[in-house]
Amino acid sequence: MDYRYHTAEELATDDLFRKWVTSPTPEITSFWLKWIADNPEKSVEVGMARELVLAVYDIHTDDLTEETLQHEIAEITRLAEIQKQNTNTNIYRLVRQPFWRVAAIFLLVSAIGLWLYSRENNAASPSAARHNHTRAAEMLIRENTGSHEMTVLLSDNSVATLSPGSIIRFPKTFAAGERKVILTGEAFFDVARNPKRPFLVYANETVTKVLGTSFRVKALDQENTVMVLVKTGRVSVYPKTEYETLQNKPHKKVSVIVLDPNQQAVFNRKENKLEKGIVINRQLLSELSVQKELIFDDKPVSQVFKSLQDMYGIAIDYNQEMLADCIISAQFSDENLKQRLSAICQAIGAGYEMVDGRIVITSKGCS
Amino acid sequence: MNNEAPISNLSDINIQLWQRFKAGDSAALGQLAQVHYRALYNYSTKFSSDPDFIRDSIQELYLELWERREHLSETAFVKSYLLKALRHKLIKESIRLKRFQEPKQELFDLDHEDAPIESQIIADESSHSQSSHLKRIITLLSKRQQEIIYLRFYQNLDNEDIAHIMGLGRQSVSNLLHRTLKEIRQIWAPAEFIWALFLISSLLKPISHGICILL
Repeated sequence: MDYRYHTAEELATDDLFRKWVTSPTPEITSFWLKWIADNPEKSVEVGMARELVLAVYDIHTDDLTEETLQHEIAEITRLAEIQKQNTNTNIYRLVRQPFWRVAAIFLLVSAIGLWLYSRENNAASPSAARHNHTRAAEMLIRENTGSHEMTVLLSDNSVATLSPGSIIRFPKTFAAGERKVILTGEAFFDVARNPKRPFLVYANETVTKVLGTSFRVKALDQENTVMVLVKTGRVSVYPKTEYETLQNKPHKKVSVIVLDPNQQAVFNRKENKLEKGIVINRQLLSELSVQKELIFDDKPVSQVFKSLQDMYGIAIDYNQEMLADCIISAQFSDENLKQRLSAICQAIGAGYEMVDGRIVITSKGCS
Repeated sequence: MNNEAPISNLSDINIQLWQRFKAGDSAALGQLAQVHYRALYNYSTKFSSDPDFIRDSIQELYLELWERREHLSETAFVKSYLLKALRHKLIKESIRLKRFQEPKQELFDLDHEDAPIESQIIADESSHSQSSHLKRIITLLSKRQQEIIYLRFYQNLDNEDIAHIMGLGRQSVSNLLHRTLKEIRQIWAPAEFIWALFLISSLLKPISHGICILL
């Protein structure tokens, strides 16, 4: 661009010039210094433009921190999601019409009446309802009593890698609204993306909420801290009490930390305090503590599956005959189980699902 | 500082983002909101000194866009449209809230005529140091002039956007800006000419051994 005929005003609104003034890089600085040396008669305009930009920035500084900004963005996203779910049920729109308002009030009044009436009649037998509740959400418990990590497959295609001595509780099938697991100890999670159904990890006094990412939660009972370390995606970490408040009052501001990749949150259990930082021990960001390299050169896919079964201690179901002609070449080093499965399935035009803790490969075969 | 990228640039990523937003992906809304959030926040501080009120207003603005996403065109996320909608919202809301609050004088909301700028400058000339001279000149401009300087040189908007936000004609903006800059130059320039040169040479000094050929 030719800046020679520019006035101070034009310079002050030029993006490259503003960058030099507000956040210079060595390249931009050397560009402008050279330009000034080449056009010495313009140095007054340059000086004025610089001063103008600096003065205006100085007058109008604000107190918005990066943390607040990220929190607000997360908040907008969360409320948008709630708004969408409300609209989906259409109640929101219906209630706006006068007829439905009257109808809704009528319904509400009769419902309260009915509730009061029935409460007086069967105050003594709430057990039926409780029974139903437990059946709908059948919880499975997996405990890693061995000395190696244990791969646990969840019904939504997410993978939890459980450290020795740790326990995870999760429903056989996740409920419609959210995916909730309870962790005692340490695990790495590789969560299948589903923005409509947040994935929640309850661990000691914390709740970690994600939409689809990979991260580690370390919540050992004997330790004073709970740690959450993020490998990919974005993760929100709440003190459990705050998260529960949020469930009752969705618009209330509660304390939360939003983590990006390579960031960690440390919750201090004694002081009930949550702090954010950078992941120092990068080892903790991989799924298995020892990531073994796998190389396959024109090998039948059954052999690849066999290696994965052994490495992760999982069962893979597939149709032997159907996949007999599938030959693949692949090289894995630091990929997660899900990444490996996706890569293999993509290569042979297949899909995979996690059913009852097993991986089921669906394929029409290779030709 | 200025990490805003114009949404309307027709890059693939932005088109994808826009389509995801239209399709009801709340994460896409978050990404769109991130683009101009800082600019909106800063602008709001000119109308209100209550950070909670500001954050709520910006949140509301984006959630309203979200609710109407099926009927929106891409312009809804252009910076000047957002600033104008927010300005409207802030003013409307503060009027509604006014009876609950202590009256405070905010930067742009009053539009009374100020005394001639020269006399004000002379009045406090002696008490300030040279380096804040320009800042002082700017803060002594009329509210309208201050706003136009802010929109032009902080938010980096062009005359058409400024006209749109302030509800003025394009020509009036052009005239007002021209007049304001002339006023600033008249008071500021004579004293600063030499100083500006000094500034540039001092800038060159720290790295001069690396590029001494230039001098």
